[in-house]
Amino acid sequence: MTPMTSAIALREVTKHFVDRQPAALLGVNLDVLPGTCTALLGPSGSGKSTILRIIAGLESPSGGQVLLNGRDITSVLPEKRNVGLVFQRPLLFPHLSVVDNVAFADRAAGRSWRVARERALPYLDMVQLADLGRQRVGSLSGGQEQRVALARALAAQPTILLLDEPFSALDAELRHEMHELLADIRRQLAPTVVLVTHDRDEAATVADRIAVLENGQLLQHDTVDGVYHHPASMAVARLMGGENFIKGVTIAGVHHSGLGSISVDESIPDGPGVLLFRHESLGVSAGHLLPPTGNRVHATVTGISRTGLRRRATVRINAEEIQVELPATLDVSVGDLLTVDLPRGILHVVSESNQ
Amino acid sequence: MAVTITTRELVPAPAIPPRRLPGDPGRPLTASRTGSRLGRVGLVVLLLGWFALPLLPLALWAFADQWSYPAAVPTEWGTDGLNSAITAGGIAAFGRSALLGVAVAAIATLIGAVAARALVAGWAPFPRLVTVLLFAPVAIPPFASILGTNVILLRAQVPSLLGLVMVLVVVALPYTTFTLRAAYAAHDMRYEEEARTLGASQAQVLWRIQIPLMAPALARAAFLAFLVGWSDYIVTLIVGGGQLVTVPIITASLAAGVGNDSVVAVLSLAALVPPVALLIVLARNGFR
Repeated sequence: MTPMTSAIALREVTKHFVDRQPAALLGVNLDVLPGTCTALLGPSGSGKSTILRIIAGLESPSGGQVLLNGRDITSVLPEKRNVGLVFQRPLLFPHLSVVDNVAFADRAAGRSWRVARERALPYLDMVQLADLGRQRVGSLSGGQEQRVALARALAAQPTILLLDEPFSALDAELRHEMHELLADIRRQLAPTVVLVTHDRDEAATVADRIAVLENGQLLQHDTVDGVYHHPASMAVARLMGGENFIKGVTIAGVHHSGLGSISVDESIPDGPGVLLFRHESLGVSAGHLLPPTGNRVHATVTGISRTGLRRRATVRINAEEIQVELPATLDVSVGDLLTVDLPRGILHVVSESNQ
Repeated sequence: MAVTITTRELVPAPAIPPRRLPGDPGRPLTASRTGSRLGRVGLVVLLLGWFALPLLPLALWAFADQWSYPAAVPTEWGTDGLNSAITAGGIAAFGRSALLGVAVAAIATLIGAVAARALVAGWAPFPRLVTVLLFAPVAIPPFASILGTNVILLRAQVPSLLGLVMVLVVVALPYTTFTLRAAYAAHDMRYEEEARTLGASQAQVLWRIQIPLMAPALARAAFLAFLVGWSDYIVTLIVGGGQLVTVPIITASLAAGVGNDSVVAVLSLAALVPPVALLIVLARNGFR
């Protein structure tokens, strides 16, 4: 079978800014398959927006190649790339009406105002703003502006749609609406999307795959489940919000640590390693009703914290303390006894040197 | 054992009047603005008076055929001044001044825009030196620079009209560059980046995005440069070598004579018309 050509591919892309050290990007390799949505996730300054600007042609890489559908576009001008970009600020052209903003790409391509406006209408309809076409952009709300920006980018019929934190300035409700709108658009047009975000929940909600970046390096590019449950390193686990890191030694598929002897995947090589698992994936029940086995351990609650409706407990298990998410129906206090299940499928071990 | 109990009178603590805040009973939520509004209106009236007062004698002189001291108003009204202004070539001078102003505005705005963009975007080499050079025409006394420049232009055999426009453009550049530099500093370059990702070429970005977004600042800069060309006297006299008779040249020559108060008043008032008309047009289009 012929391997599918990536819609966009970065090959050893490096970027040095004249006035900045260290490098903004270091040897980044990334493949985004057609019709998929990949989230570039990382803290501020990790290089995620630089990747987007290099794909759009707004920055030239210091080294490496950018391929669009297998074609090298590293030196191609931004207007010749057919890549749509939506920034965090909608950047609607204030001297044009809503429909004329959406019609901009067609006008730039030389179509008449009448034709360009006609062709813009379905895209305005797609973002549920068909009745606002004649309005000046200054009269729109923040959410409406971002919808128009999305329609404008889509109306250019881009090969790839780049979204640079487009929803981060919106409140939670509007952001949720925009996530649904993006899902709708993906169902209708199946565009290839690369989304920059620093919000891992947003990345997990809208993307099929997540590329985790830190200090200009791509740490892992995997499915949402992959980066959450099988992080390539402790750095990825931390960036994805992991909080349980248990140092120990793996021998014949069993990880030995202060937590006890926990069965892990037999494919994990022997040697020192850090056991990683998500606090949300643990099975938690009250009391010590069931006897402890290898992956079922008894725990004592030493602290409870709350984030919205979610409650998280710090529990002591033998010589270690770990974080567990408490089920909504479980009423516990500090000092209570719990039984914690660590299913093998959620356990992952990385080398201690793999920081 | 006898126990003595002394009692002390309790002295009540001095009553601290509760702090009254806006919105408490008897207090309005907002302070009255009548005073500040009156103050603003008074200031506007004062400023209008400051600018309008010198124009009043001009307006009276423009329609005075005779006005001898100590009469408070003209003793004889008429249009001698207007007729003399036309006879002296006022209309042609008006046209030449307007053309000079437009030429200076067009060139100085274009160069100012390029310089401002280069300074803001960091493209200009030695930006501080460039800034000082652009600002120099304002700082250096005009006679010193113009006499020197005139010698160079004469030796280089530059036609006087071309030399005049060149020197006035240099004089206008500080105004256009600094007006546009502030505007470019506030301009979000991502509008242009967005347009390019939508397929617009650099020329289209300039025409469809940059110029419309910068239009208010460009209009302000062009207005200032127009004023430089329109109202210039010294450069036109020295570099122009007397070949180009503009409104300031004709006004000054008539003002140097005796008994020309009426015609000087007409020309001076006429000189006010284009700037004021342009200001009104700019204000009506929101380009203030």
